[in-house]
Amino acid sequence: MAGPGPGSAQGLGADPGPGVGSDTGAFHATTRVRRTPTSDLSVAEAAALRRVGLSPVGFVMGSAVMQLASTITGNVYGGTAMGGGIGWGGLLSSARASGSYVESYPCAHFGFVLNAEHYGFNAENTVLAASLFEGYRLALSRIQDEAVGLGAHGVVGVKLSFEHMVGAAGTATFLATGTAVLHRESSPLASPFLTNASGQNFERLIGLGYVAAGLAVGVGVVYVQPNCLARGDLTAVGPNPQIPAAVGVARGRARQWLASTAHSMGEGVVHTEWSDRRFVRYGESWNQLALAVGTAVRRYKTEVEPLMPRAVVPLRP
Amino acid sequence: MTRAKGLGTATGASSIPEIGVALEALRAPFHPGGQTAFLSDLTVGELILLEEIGYRPIEIVSGAGSASWCPQFTTAGTEAKMWGRAIASAIAEARAGIASEVSQRGADGVVAMRLELEREPANQLTCTMLGTAVRGEQGSGHTGPAARGPFTTTLSAREFHVLTRAGYRAAGIVLGVSVVGFSARSASQSLGLVRDNIELEGQTTALYSAREEAMGMMEREAVSLGADGVVAVELSERPVNTMLTHAVELMAIGTAVRRGPRGHESLDPQLQLALDDPAAEVFTSG
Repeated sequence: MAGPGPGSAQGLGADPGPGVGSDTGAFHATTRVRRTPTSDLSVAEAAALRRVGLSPVGFVMGSAVMQLASTITGNVYGGTAMGGGIGWGGLLSSARASGSYVESYPCAHFGFVLNAEHYGFNAENTVLAASLFEGYRLALSRIQDEAVGLGAHGVVGVKLSFEHMVGAAGTATFLATGTAVLHRESSPLASPFLTNASGQNFERLIGLGYVAAGLAVGVGVVYVQPNCLARGDLTAVGPNPQIPAAVGVARGRARQWLASTAHSMGEGVVHTEWSDRRFVRYGESWNQLALAVGTAVRRYKTEVEPLMPRAVVPLRP
Repeated sequence: MTRAKGLGTATGASSIPEIGVALEALRAPFHPGGQTAFLSDLTVGELILLEEIGYRPIEIVSGAGSASWCPQFTTAGTEAKMWGRAIASAIAEARAGIASEVSQRGADGVVAMRLELEREPANQLTCTMLGTAVRGEQGSGHTGPAARGPFTTTLSAREFHVLTRAGYRAAGIVLGVSVVGFSARSASQSLGLVRDNIELEGQTTALYSAREEAMGMMEREAVSLGADGVVAVELSERPVNTMLTHAVELMAIGTAVRRGPRGHESLDPQLQLALDDPAAEVFTSG
């Protein structure tokens, strides 16, 4: 894969390496004095975790506010030439040079010169993908640091999000929150696990013979400069392959990345939260973004009692 | 069937040492074998449900389709074929895309599929589908219904589980789309100057005929899949009433189902008092 590779994902999960806990960027969090355990668990979640022997030790958070690296330095058409290295043309040429996905969608108006501005293309935006991945990595390593500070074995119910800071284009706030949990009879882990599963689902996971190993993240971004068909020009109608291709490639990259970050952590990924967004719009153009965050799971036991669901009529309204 | 066992009791008091064993497994570095990690957007509860009926997750698969049309060409009482076909082709393309990803991975179908329709701008529709491809385990008695290609369904894992236990198979997503034009209102009606309460018969008729056409198309698709019926049909209706365009758009999307070789099997429910968060949250999130 061109651009940001899965190698940079080391330390996201429970992969115990010397880098974990130290490579969290320039920011240093002050250690807050905690007077009592806190958690954002529901009562049922807390009960489920108690059943497997885990106690909540504190609400933990990891955050990073980032100025995202710019991918646009000139006008949209690349100024001097497509190969000029400036503007979105620069994105196009760098995508071509690195062998990542790039595809042209010529104007559907029989090539009339008048409609030359309806030329479109898709190009993979590895710069934005790397920026988003870095923001996630920072937020996750910081939440893990807080868990280490509490001597916790893991963090359950991790919610991961990013948003633009109001009024500040090109920035993003990455936020990870969750509840650190502890098994009092076990010695601390060098790198506690992170999972986006709820307490109940964590209990089921343990019952199934799997343990959460860490969060796997996948990001895919394709810059879309729509041609006449993709922008809904009234004089050009019909099937439009450009948008499906952009969605397909962005999702494919996110999936590929998710699989490779998970590969070093466990046998599979469950609970993947997907989102597709149109991100950082410029006029009619946009970045088609696919994000995937899931829990990498590792099998700790192969002999498990089958969990047999049954049909029920619940006694609740 | 073996004795039913609740999820809670399986991880009861006897299993408390297990968390220690599980955490020990995290201490040792993980050595990935030659295997590729399975990817799934299902929750653990959903995985258990699918495993119980003999399906394993393979990978997350997706499909997308998009089409645009000319919205201004509508004639009163006539079906706007081009418009309707454009919408149908966008959805069918997404469905074909996800089905081919399922086939490429040697899976039998996709469950709990997320289907999203995005209009942007008004005369353009993008349909995306995303879900977990599953494969039926050999010898489990649940051979995949791969005879007519992979199945797709928007039914959740829980619904799919109940469907399978009741003796049915999902045959695939079927859709019907129709756009029917109607005549414009009179000038006084448009301006809101009419005192009488009058039915806009043209509009009502257009809605009914759009319903007929859309359901008819969906039924034809279901019959061509050899289905015995369609469940979980979602109807969406959108009137478009602008200066030049007067039409009603109607879409029906559902899951076609086939009766299995053993026919209908009744499920006897038991009474339960859940010591848990609401089931909807447990089984449908994520």
